[in-house]
Amino acid sequence: MEGFIIALFVCMVLALISKYLKVPAIPFYILAGVVLGKAGLGIVHSNEISHFFSEMGLLFLLFFMGLELKLDKMIADPSKLLTSGLIGLAVDMGIGFTAAYLLGFSLQEAFIIGTAFYITSTAIVITSLIENRKLMQRETETIIWLEVFEDIVLIIIIALLSMGNENLLFFFVKIALALGVMYLIAHYGKEFLISLLDRGDEIPLLFTFAAVLITASLSIFIGVPETMMVIALGAALATTDPEAFEQHARPFKDVFLVMFFVFFGVTIDFSTGVDLFTIVVICLLAVVSKLISGLLIGIAVHGSALSGLEIWANTISRGEFSIALAVLYGSPVVGTVVAVLVIFTTLVGAFTSKYSTWMRRAIVRLGRRSAPPRRLHLKH
Amino acid sequence: MPLRSQNLPGIGTKYEFSTDKGDTVAIFFTRTGTVQMYTLQQGCQTPSAAEMTPMEARRLGNILTGAIIEADQESVEIAFSALADLRITLHTLIIPASIDGKTIEDLQIRAKTGATVIAVSRHSMNIINPPASFVFEAGDTALVIGETDQIKKLEREISVE
Repeated sequence: MEGFIIALFVCMVLALISKYLKVPAIPFYILAGVVLGKAGLGIVHSNEISHFFSEMGLLFLLFFMGLELKLDKMIADPSKLLTSGLIGLAVDMGIGFTAAYLLGFSLQEAFIIGTAFYITSTAIVITSLIENRKLMQRETETIIWLEVFEDIVLIIIIALLSMGNENLLFFFVKIALALGVMYLIAHYGKEFLISLLDRGDEIPLLFTFAAVLITASLSIFIGVPETMMVIALGAALATTDPEAFEQHARPFKDVFLVMFFVFFGVTIDFSTGVDLFTIVVICLLAVVSKLISGLLIGIAVHGSALSGLEIWANTISRGEFSIALAVLYGSPVVGTVVAVLVIFTTLVGAFTSKYSTWMRRAIVRLGRRSAPPRRLHLKH
Repeated sequence: MPLRSQNLPGIGTKYEFSTDKGDTVAIFFTRTGTVQMYTLQQGCQTPSAAEMTPMEARRLGNILTGAIIEADQESVEIAFSALADLRITLHTLIIPASIDGKTIEDLQIRAKTGATVIAVSRHSMNIINPPASFVFEAGDTALVIGETDQIKKLEREISVE
């Protein structure tokens, strides 16, 4: 228990520092876990309590993701979403998967690394767009849709991975039934749910917390993946009053998710036989592959490589979803790779998103300097 | 000047319009509760931005609607288009030492000027709808409501006293 309190205290200090420096806090939490845990000082160990907290963090992360799914908006203008989304998926997932497989990981491990490699951190990307005052740029909208597309892909991948060896038909019937029940409750109980959330006492928080936990345990009971069901619960409840649910789920998500990151760091063990070369290659490729996909998307959607550079600069950071995948389906080796990947990309991403305008200007200036003869020629 | 509004998932609501001269202004109400305003001059590549708290954004709104704002006294003018363009001004006044100890009744504020004191702020406490027997202290901030002329008259009265 003492270890747990130490971790909590360290996180609080780190959170303050990261807010002060205006850099994402996720890498700090993981690093704190690594330093305090198995790979470092060994002060903090994961136990039942920490396991419970991490699990809560994951569930609320997924619940939130469900709440923010806006399917109606995506159907409204699918062309942009699909072009950029599919380019990103093909390039990043392709590079990540191939690299991991060639570096000697098994097919499934390579698939998980590939996905973790592809999925960026919505939280970090959106926050840095706001903090760096980039909301007006035309690339921002493309980036936002990229994030939405990634969420959909993630849900499909979670469904695929959690299916395991079950009978396909039976599995889908179970999921469809559970989804149906949830949507019926959200549809016919809408008024009642909204009146519950409107109360000023402890009911809204208690209800939100209970809804997520009950859904998770019921889905384990009937044998469907609780991750899927919690996302579906979020999506179903988003049809009632998503703002109220977000407001009441946020305290749980904020606290538990920090624990989730720290204890992910705690379980990292560098002696699991992953060599430095593999990690370095994957980290560098993670930045390069986003550059390739970013440039392609920039040219395809905006007709400009500079736009692609801007997209790249803002979508480097991997984060919560990559870790969630590693925790849910990855081996210890995958966990280590993803931990370093997240720390490295978030730090690089924080830098590039802050200085992208400056980079663009420098490139434009260089381009001008190297092409004056052509200009003179044009004038004549 | 068509105003476009858009909901951006994860970010918030965006409002954007182009002025007749070709400049663009965009306002974002972000999920984090802040308001960001971007202005892009015609022909420029990068917009300039300002981030505001909701309070600051309201202040900016007041300035843009044409209300006067001074360092320690501010006015808000509200126009009700449904009520034959009724224009009402809310104005804050700092009570000078000259009327320290006088009541609203003594000063005959409503009879003389037509304006009404609707709230007084003293040591960061607010007294809403003070009675006629309310005694002013120097340094109080009074919130008065009335037409612009009535407010001006009141300001003159107070400085004469």
